[in-house]
Amino acid sequence: MDRSRYADLFRTESRDQLSAINRALLALEQGEAAREPVDAIFRGVHTIKGMSATMGYAGVAEFAHELESLLDKVRTGEQGLTADLMDALFAAADALEDGVEQAREDAPLSPLMHRVLERLHDVAGGRATAEFRVVRPSEAFRITSEMALPPEDAAAPGPAAAAPAAPAGGGAGATVEVVQEASTLLPGVRAFMAIQRLRELGEVLRSEPSVEALQAATVPQRFTVELATTAGESELERAVRSAGDVATVRVTLRAAAAADAGPAVAAVSAPPYNRRASDQLPAYGRRASDALAVDDLLTTAERAAAAAAPSRTRHVRIELSRLDTLLNLVGELVIVRGRLQALTRTSPDPALQEAMADATRLIGDLQAEIMTSRLVPVGQVFDRFPRLVRDLARQLGKDVLFAIEGKEIEIDRSVLDEIGEPVVHLLRNAVDHGLETPEARETAGKPRAGRLTLAAHRDRAAVVVTVRDDGRGIDREKVLARALERGLVDAGTTRLDDAALLAVIAHPGFSTAEQVTDVSGRGVGIDAVQAKVRALGGALEFTTEPGRGTSVAIRLPVTLAIVRALLARVGEERYALPLTHVRETMERAPAAIRQVQGKDVLVLRDEVLPVLRLREVVQLPAGARGSAAEEIVVIERGDRRAGLVVDELTGQEDIVVKSFDAVRDGAALFSGATILADGAPALIVDVGSLL
Amino acid sequence: MRTMVGDILQQAGFEIVGEAETGSQAVEKYKQLRPDLVTMDIVMPDMGGIDAVREITKYDPNAKVLMCSAMGQQSLVVEAIQAGAKDFVVKPFQPSRVLEAVQRVLG
Repeated sequence: MDRSRYADLFRTESRDQLSAINRALLALEQGEAAREPVDAIFRGVHTIKGMSATMGYAGVAEFAHELESLLDKVRTGEQGLTADLMDALFAAADALEDGVEQAREDAPLSPLMHRVLERLHDVAGGRATAEFRVVRPSEAFRITSEMALPPEDAAAPGPAAAAPAAPAGGGAGATVEVVQEASTLLPGVRAFMAIQRLRELGEVLRSEPSVEALQAATVPQRFTVELATTAGESELERAVRSAGDVATVRVTLRAAAAADAGPAVAAVSAPPYNRRASDQLPAYGRRASDALAVDDLLTTAERAAAAAAPSRTRHVRIELSRLDTLLNLVGELVIVRGRLQALTRTSPDPALQEAMADATRLIGDLQAEIMTSRLVPVGQVFDRFPRLVRDLARQLGKDVLFAIEGKEIEIDRSVLDEIGEPVVHLLRNAVDHGLETPEARETAGKPRAGRLTLAAHRDRAAVVVTVRDDGRGIDREKVLARALERGLVDAGTTRLDDAALLAVIAHPGFSTAEQVTDVSGRGVGIDAVQAKVRALGGALEFTTEPGRGTSVAIRLPVTLAIVRALLARVGEERYALPLTHVRETMERAPAAIRQVQGKDVLVLRDEVLPVLRLREVVQLPAGARGSAAEEIVVIERGDRRAGLVVDELTGQEDIVVKSFDAVRDGAALFSGATILADGAPALIVDVGSLL
Repeated sequence: MRTMVGDILQQAGFEIVGEAETGSQAVEKYKQLRPDLVTMDIVMPDMGGIDAVREITKYDPNAKVLMCSAMGQQSLVVEAIQAGAKDFVVKPFQPSRVLEAVQRVLG
């Protein structure tokens, strides 16, 4: 048997276990009722032990075994928890992680593991006594199946616990599943209308996602509504369709008597949860390595259960590169669809029109499915930060209350993979330079513990990740003085607003060379963060208040590959403006643009906005003015808005982003290029950079 | 804006019986003319579109009002629908979408 094939799977699964172990260690340290976190750590270590023994990674298995023996003593109360032991346990988790990453067959305990074990035993006293032997491959079947067993009390919840509660009342009802058209404009309003129409026919018991979430949705949705109603199937479907932009509706009726049959969403069967060894043995009998695959399935399902998912589904791991390929293919398909639409539009053949409409809808559904399959909750990356913040805080003698909000917010896998690094930079900056020492905070009349928050939330087509501290803020005066000295701002500048401040500290090398004490290091990394975020098509937003703290927000597109964009024409050129940064559009009413101090401004309701002309920004020769066909796009980034004047807005389209290297050199005016539905190329304007 | 929607509707065979510049004018005109359909901007001087819809539906619960919205006004549109508007279209207008919405409202 070639076990190396399963090495990646082993690592992936072990990393999940390690992040659970780290989470539990933090919970334990924060004084949570000791029993649960200790059990969770024990479980994680135990699973890694079992898997590494199966793989023949002797060193890792032995280390895990030693750790497990110690944890067992903590569990029984024989060993008390001390701060020293906590530190040693954190070190052990790191050593285990290191061991997992470096694991080789038959490799003994690494020097690091030796050191950590010695430390553990010093702190706790007494070596583990239970005899432990690394299994030879021939014995692996039996022993692994035993070892893969979690302690009894850690058994996964049975399917019964997962079944969604039957709707109250048990009366006649229906479950309505709705999928919106891929081209839906303001999908939140359409979804709201659909639910409103359903309300006219019965009582809405539940909606998944919630009505509030749907109402705020900015991309076409798939949602399920449970109703208490006596209305028939066709009546319900007609009601939903009358809300417009509905691709498919599926109605499942439930008779009054059969209420306990449960709603349609519960029909998805739960995976087998019974983890008794006898159930797994046949699988091991065939191939020992199946143990990993089975375990993998189970833990993924457990995670889903932990997230209280309304419906249980089976999971399977797919290589990211496959999803990338699928995405590229569907991207090409979207482009071809657009071309076909243009070609068939003038055809008088109704059969062709109908086939085209079907194909359009199916491709839209396919695209939505593939995009959805790439979304993962940000928690997958955020979960490793509490540990990082804890270590930093200890190292720097800071007292930090760290909170994570919006873990469940979903974002494209490829975007998520890229944001870890910038977020780490921001967290480091906040702990190191933002938050004061407990003593300094006390003197300033603040609580000793500084607050640090990492939050994610959805804002239309974007995900905003914010790192916020309540520390000392940045001293504008000092930064301004330094910026003037270095000629980074116009002489005579007397005040830096937040955006100007960001521009200065994001200047490569600002402050590193200078050692401005209070802001030293603040600049380090901010330029790197900004470069990274821009490369992802996002933008940084920054606010700071002396004495009150600093907040840095990273605004990112939910997905990198396919975005909805407004198409604008200037002269003969066409440009795509991603909707992430578009607030609204308007025709150019002659009165809307006024002259103030020789500059054009746009008066919009109560606001006065600066006016940019795309023609000038992209340096096209001035066209025939007064063609009167000009239109205005109100663009925004954070609090900053501007009116962008274009010759004409020609429509909206899903565009497939092809990034190009030019973005990295200087003129970051464009974030990429795309092929439009009619086959013509267009540049994608990096709207954020215009502001 | 008005002319554009008007053109689309006229080309499709509808007759424009009246136009109003502000929300309060729209309410008055509605009472005078009792049109089959009203298209209305969300943001208008004087009385806004949402208040105007509310007034019109108070006067005639069966009034058929179609809101015209710009991108990014999602929450305003939801409010307008709650106030009694029957459907909406989004700028930049595409004639086919405008006519689809009109048919849904009148159908």
